[in-house]
Amino acid sequence: MANRPILASPKRPPLWRNATFLKWAAQIGVLFGVLALGSVLVGEAMANMRAQGLSLDWDLLTDPPGIQLGEGIFIKPSTGLEAFYTGAVNMLRVALSGIVAATVVGAIVGIARLSSNWLASRLATVFVESLRNIPVLVQVVFWFFLASTLFPVLEEDSSGPIPGVLLVSRKGVSFAWPFPQETFWQWGAFLVAGLLTARWAYRTRMRRAEALGEATRPGRWALMAFLAWAIVGWFAHPLAGAIGWLFMLLAASVGAIPVLVYQVVLALASLYLGWRWIHRFLESRRSPAGLAKLTDDDYFRMILAGALGAGGAAVLMLLPAATEVGTNVIQYLLEFCDQKFEFLRSGAPLAIGSPSVEVPGRFPQIAGTGLTMTPSFFGIWMGVTLYTASFIAEIVRGGILSVPKGQSEAGYALGLRRGQLLRMVILPQAFRVILPPLGNQYLNLSKNTSLGIAVAFPEMVQVGQTMFNQTGDTIQVILIWMAFYLSISLLISVLINYYNRRTQLVER
Amino acid sequence: MENGAANPIIVCENVKKWFGDFQALRGVTTSVEEGEVVVVIGPSGSGKSTFIRCINRLEQHQEGRIVVAGIELTSDVRNIERIRSEVGMVFQQFNLFPHLTVMQNITLAQVWVRKRSRSDAEERAMALLERVGIPEQAAKYPGQLSGGQQQRVAIARSLAMDPKIMLFDEPTSALDPEMIKEVLEVMQELAGTGMTIVAVTHEMGFAREVANRIVLFDEGQIVEEGPPSEFFANPRHPRTRMFLSQILSH
Repeated sequence: MANRPILASPKRPPLWRNATFLKWAAQIGVLFGVLALGSVLVGEAMANMRAQGLSLDWDLLTDPPGIQLGEGIFIKPSTGLEAFYTGAVNMLRVALSGIVAATVVGAIVGIARLSSNWLASRLATVFVESLRNIPVLVQVVFWFFLASTLFPVLEEDSSGPIPGVLLVSRKGVSFAWPFPQETFWQWGAFLVAGLLTARWAYRTRMRRAEALGEATRPGRWALMAFLAWAIVGWFAHPLAGAIGWLFMLLAASVGAIPVLVYQVVLALASLYLGWRWIHRFLESRRSPAGLAKLTDDDYFRMILAGALGAGGAAVLMLLPAATEVGTNVIQYLLEFCDQKFEFLRSGAPLAIGSPSVEVPGRFPQIAGTGLTMTPSFFGIWMGVTLYTASFIAEIVRGGILSVPKGQSEAGYALGLRRGQLLRMVILPQAFRVILPPLGNQYLNLSKNTSLGIAVAFPEMVQVGQTMFNQTGDTIQVILIWMAFYLSISLLISVLINYYNRRTQLVER
Repeated sequence: MENGAANPIIVCENVKKWFGDFQALRGVTTSVEEGEVVVVIGPSGSGKSTFIRCINRLEQHQEGRIVVAGIELTSDVRNIERIRSEVGMVFQQFNLFPHLTVMQNITLAQVWVRKRSRSDAEERAMALLERVGIPEQAAKYPGQLSGGQQQRVAIARSLAMDPKIMLFDEPTSALDPEMIKEVLEVMQELAGTGMTIVAVTHEMGFAREVANRIVLFDEGQIVEEGPPSEFFANPRHPRTRMFLSQILSH
């Protein structure tokens, strides 16, 4: 019997009653509405500012700011851009080292709170309960106060507590550190090659282990490969200076090609991306049985992808300036890399600097030979690190407790030892519970670095405030702040979400 | 004679266990022969689960002695490890590791505890998956399997360690009726190979057909024990008669 449909095929509704069309129309409508509202508000604000004699120009980035910063790359910045760059790098120094330290401390304290060792768990509880219940600002000021008034006075002959390695004083904590030298990048090329080889060695040994069931020690092989490159590179790096020629050639060719060529290539790429999206989308809807019936929703998606591709191409062709900025930045970066390499330039890539004291004027100062934490840095760093660590400890504890007791029982019943159980069964499962709130804590820590202003640490907010006190360009500074913190936070979010997706459980 | 103790592999003597003020085991004395299949039954809260969890030290008994495969269970960590590597356990809630595939679940302890090469471990795992009837699920994650399949993987995971004794703690209680059968069949096949089995279960059909001996627990003590034919046909203790009438009447 023929497969006759029971129902007559449905009549297509008119466009204004089509649910899919209405959904997309509403979204596009909202988008244009928001853009229109935004442009009206910005236009209004600009008009008001002009009326008051304020201007939204960006001269503050290029003018000499006439300010001095407590520490950082440019202590006396010659442009506003240099000042903000210094603030940004200082902020990132605190945020990145703080994130690493807070994670380590938090994980240890969190595990200690679950320990059956009475003393360890009580100490961990005291750590968490005291630190998370005191405002982070108070803690920052406390550590700054401790470092700037209770540490030993810096004398001309100060060297303690560990001479040549660690120097603690009211003017800062300085320790020995391997500083990269001008040949570091040449050695770095070997390190990159080492990492690639290590990855390759790890994978081949792993594959061999799986194929033959031998213990092939992939980790050890990878480490050896990396160390071999590092050691050879330590001596052979002047040869890698030849890489500089490559960068020089690239920079020259980037500059030699007219902008129009880039525009055309990029516009074509934009069109191609749109086309490829549509192509792949159709492929994904195609099964051996033939092309699946496309819904209205699918058509709208393809139209949107095509429109974005075409729109991108149009913008690229109509605005040569955008492409020009891009090529200039690339050329600058290539030239920058070129300078880092010089054929046969020799010298150790790293040199260890020890803390020392100098007396430039009447008072002794910590010399720049070691890596120095000023009292300001110490204050903001200790403050945000320990405060965040107390929260991370709770997150780690909660994550471990979230793994059902049956998991440990099954592991023990199989004969796993406590450490193996923790490493292979409990922590991987706890990790997926820990990650999202851990990301929040990283974001909190990064944003809390703005409290550096309370202890005169020249991070982004402190630098910005000094800048607008000088120039009066409040709006510009606030826009710079927002753009900066937003991009850092989004970057952290993207990373955390990436790992989050990778650790999710597979079900169904 | 079931207590003649020709070759006992588990010996329990006056085992007592408290949870705080509550006494879960009030002096349990019994022994299990090598190759014997013992089914432990009893009302909930009677201490039967606690009893078999004491055999591999998931619970710690406070008084009395337990000797498993010639090793006395004390707080000596080495003894605990040795006993756990001789005793496999299957749980009511399966307790598979959800972040590992079926294959990884079965090979993990083989590689880290038994120190087998990965390929040997995988070969053994595949053989066991064939035996429990689900070789095609090796690459899946536990969350993608039905309850019955998960429990069969759990049995394979325990067997991979080549235990001398298998403990089953209500292995079918969390399963749908149609999946109970597939798990019981695996257990029955296992009993046929001469494995020593101690199982807490409410499956009277399994007890009647497969068990060499049935042990009834009540209020932390063994009330009655004996071969199934006697136990079901001719219960001596009134408590046994009451329990049997409750579970067999419907």
